Amino acid sequence: MRMTLAMAMITLGLLEAGCDRHAGSADGGAPPEKRPVVYVVNYPLQYFAQRIAGDRAQVRFPVPAGRDPASWLPAPDRIAEFQSADLIVLNGAGYAKWVETASLPPSKVVNTSASFSDAYIEATGTMTHSHGPAGAHTHAGTAVTTWIDFRQAAAQAQAIGDALTALRPGQADLVGANLGALRDDLLGLDARMKEIARRIGDTPLIASHPVYQYWARRYGLNVRTVTWEPDVVPDAEALGELKSILTGHPARVMIWEGEPDSRSVELLGSFGLASMVFNPCGNVPQRGDFLTVMRQNIADIERVGASP
Amino acid sequence: MTDLLYMSWRYVAYHWMKSVILVAAIALIVFIPAGLRVLVHQGEIQLRARAQATPLLLGSRDSPLELALNALYFSADRPETMDFSATSDITASGLADAIPVYVRFRSQGDPIVGTTIDYFPFRGLELAAGRQMATLGECVVGAAVAADRGLAPGDHVISSPATFFDLAGVYPLKMRVAGVLASSDSPDDHAIFVDLKTAWIIEGLGHGHQDLAQAGAGAEILRRDGSNIVGNAAVREYQEITPDNIGSFHFHRDMATLPITAVIAVPPDRKSRTLLLGRYQSDQRRQLLSPIEVVDTLLATVFSVENVVVAALAAVGFATLALVVLVFMLSLRLRRGEIATMSRIGGSRARIASILGMEMAGVLVMALVTAGVLTLATGQLAPEVVRMVLSR
Repeated sequence: MRMTLAMAMITLGLLEAGCDRHAGSADGGAPPEKRPVVYVVNYPLQYFAQRIAGDRAQVRFPVPAGRDPASWLPAPDRIAEFQSADLIVLNGAGYAKWVETASLPPSKVVNTSASFSDAYIEATGTMTHSHGPAGAHTHAGTAVTTWIDFRQAAAQAQAIGDALTALRPGQADLVGANLGALRDDLLGLDARMKEIARRIGDTPLIASHPVYQYWARRYGLNVRTVTWEPDVVPDAEALGELKSILTGHPARVMIWEGEPDSRSVELLGSFGLASMVFNPCGNVPQRGDFLTVMRQNIADIERVGASP
Repeated sequence: MTDLLYMSWRYVAYHWMKSVILVAAIALIVFIPAGLRVLVHQGEIQLRARAQATPLLLGSRDSPLELALNALYFSADRPETMDFSATSDITASGLADAIPVYVRFRSQGDPIVGTTIDYFPFRGLELAAGRQMATLGECVVGAAVAADRGLAPGDHVISSPATFFDLAGVYPLKMRVAGVLASSDSPDDHAIFVDLKTAWIIEGLGHGHQDLAQAGAGAEILRRDGSNIVGNAAVREYQEITPDNIGSFHFHRDMATLPITAVIAVPPDRKSRTLLLGRYQSDQRRQLLSPIEVVDTLLATVFSVENVVVAALAAVGFATLALVVLVFMLSLRLRRGEIATMSRIGGSRARIASILGMEMAGVLVMALVTAGVLTLATGQLAPEVVRMVLSR
């Protein structure tokens, strides 16, 4: 009996080993390609890359929740992770200042806004300085929130698609199909926003932060900007600045990046200004995804066009 | 036989001064051409290996030799610089990957090589300790540099000032060692690698300074002209890049116009290589060259010089051997009394001739062994010597 049991165990073991060997070369062809690792610097690029690559790539966005990716500073170990990626997707236009001081391998880097770099908007209203023979200069650079001009967002998605195709030419069809669907969505947002902007016309608007430059330019919106934070209640100096802006720019709405403090809303109410959120969605939203957040933004801004 | 050996050895040992001079003279005359041949051969191997591993080099239309020696072996002879945009020109052509190289500054004699992260996988360089450079102001040092200076990750190296007497010039930059490379038996062992942007900061083309718009800046402000703040000479520029001040570093020029000395172009196939070479054939400002062709031209010159030197050494060797024969013949004449004594005490002519022959053979063997040992030692040290000579 014991002998029979031992024989049965050995036979089972051999069968299992045989099965394992067959599993290793199930299709008889080359081993499956490793999924490329793609690192991105903001959430919109993560959304675009994930939609385009599907499950054929590991898209990683290492900025912690609640942090602004534009001003986030990674530790050297985190930069090392970017260096070891197969593809590093940058926003361009000076977005994520740390990129300028980091050592990233150019062969892996794709600047998604390179195709419209001649249309970058210079940041204005900043103090310049001069020292030595270099002459007056500023370190402010350009406006960075390129993707809320949805046509530019589509160009950025195209750049990601091209880079992924170059990385895995065998997946060109899949990438092309996914990219086409994403472009349709983004251009749909663009068309909708244009339609609403037509209705808004020249109505004066105030933005709480200088992040809406490309949006205002693309859709022909009349926006003036202050530099307020949603979670900081404006002081007397800030309110004075607002008052002077309102003299020549009689806006009825202030657009915020995030939900403003109730005291700020109250203060703005005393100036006859309603508060409205247009979330640029630089980091992962608490609810929904890039598309749903942008659709909500557009639906909210539509109320400006609808108001008498 | 033993008695013959003993007699001849006693003679050689008793007249040790004469024997040493003879051994040294014969050894040197054999070693010098042999050692020279070994050195040249090692130089050829080193030069060709590095050149063969570098498909194409783009540089300013200057001396091809200076360009190749600077880009491949980090020699101190610096070719004319060209704009960094030359790198993107190659990348944009789609015909090759491009790796920029800027070799201008040194740290205690070791070359500081400004490049990109792509350089390391291209050369097959691995880290022995620490990590890759991640930010401005960090460097990765070669194995020999680390061994010579006792450097480890976390230590610092300082760039040498371009000119000692230019007080208003560029100040040295203190750089943190992020990693140490494993030995690769190549010029990379003797180099300090930094990001291209760090190399430009060493040159003073980029810098970091305190924020003049901040409330704390008072003594450093000369005047305010509307929305422009004019700083005075007290504006402090940082000589070390730290996490606290890294954000203040900036360049006053478009990076595309900043200087590099060469671009290593790596075409994926022969067709791309040919097309790329064709594109730069009529370029008036830049040249795209095949390093192996430059090195072979250099080696052809070296070989012709070597042949002349070896011919001269052969003539000197012949004269030396003639002198050695003369010394032996004169010595026989001086030893007539000694030979007669050996004969009187019963030594046959054959045995006396054997003793004298063994003395001469002993000197020759010792000289040849000495020359062989010296040649072997040269063979061992030659790769290192060649690398050091090339990088100086």
